[in-house]
Amino acid sequence: MVQSILIGVLLLSALGVIFVRKPVHACLCFLVTLLSLAALFLQLSAEFVAVLQVLVYAGAILVLFMFVIVLFQDAYLQIDRSAPKSFAPLLYGAIATLLGTLFYFGKDLVKLPAPQGLPANYGTVQALGEALYVQFFFPFEAITLLFLVAVVGAFYIGKKWT
Amino acid sequence: MILASSALFAIGIVGVLLKRNPLIFFLSIELMLNASNLLFVAFARQWGNMTGLVWVFFVLVVAAAEAAVGLALIINNFRSKQVVDMDQFDKLKG
Repeated sequence: MVQSILIGVLLLSALGVIFVRKPVHACLCFLVTLLSLAALFLQLSAEFVAVLQVLVYAGAILVLFMFVIVLFQDAYLQIDRSAPKSFAPLLYGAIATLLGTLFYFGKDLVKLPAPQGLPANYGTVQALGEALYVQFFFPFEAITLLFLVAVVGAFYIGKKWT
Repeated sequence: MILASSALFAIGIVGVLLKRNPLIFFLSIELMLNASNLLFVAFARQWGNMTGLVWVFFVLVVAAAEAAVGLALIINNFRSKQVVDMDQFDKLKG
């Protein structure tokens, strides 16, 4: 029951992200999406991931988006009047058909057994840290390198060329 | 949960294909990444296996890196052309 309410909020706010006209309102809708997703993670007994979702997405990524909006306040005025792309109705039809078939056949496509019992330390910081630093040590280092490259690349691209 | 995740992903695809505002474009990409996160967490809960939760970390890092580089690209494009439009990213067009 709680889960279906959360999923409803999630999908409505996600629709709001792409159909609201002003970028600031889209960002706020995205914030609602993130918070409902974090609540869903709590429902799925992944507490630390929920905390991380709020910290990283709402705390860092969304603030970055907000800064860019503040920087380009008047640039968006030109875009609201621009015509939508021509294949829009076709695309809407395709997506509606896809979603319709998905919801119609979805329950038969994936037959899952009942969830198994969880280990006692499921989702705790300690167990996650062990998995991350012991079992997934080399992927962790690789993704750290990826992040370093991304930061250096962002600096390089955003640099003011005189 | 699977249906919710795929619906979220579909919404993200619609946003990417329809919107001309690059900011909404990147928000839609974040929506798709979030859909994959939801699926990871749901299946980790289903099988009682924490590997899925570890992968959520990696998806988060990829999302953060993508946001940083993408927003830098938007800023750079705005500086050179004074307009914010997804169709303006056509320098690499053959």
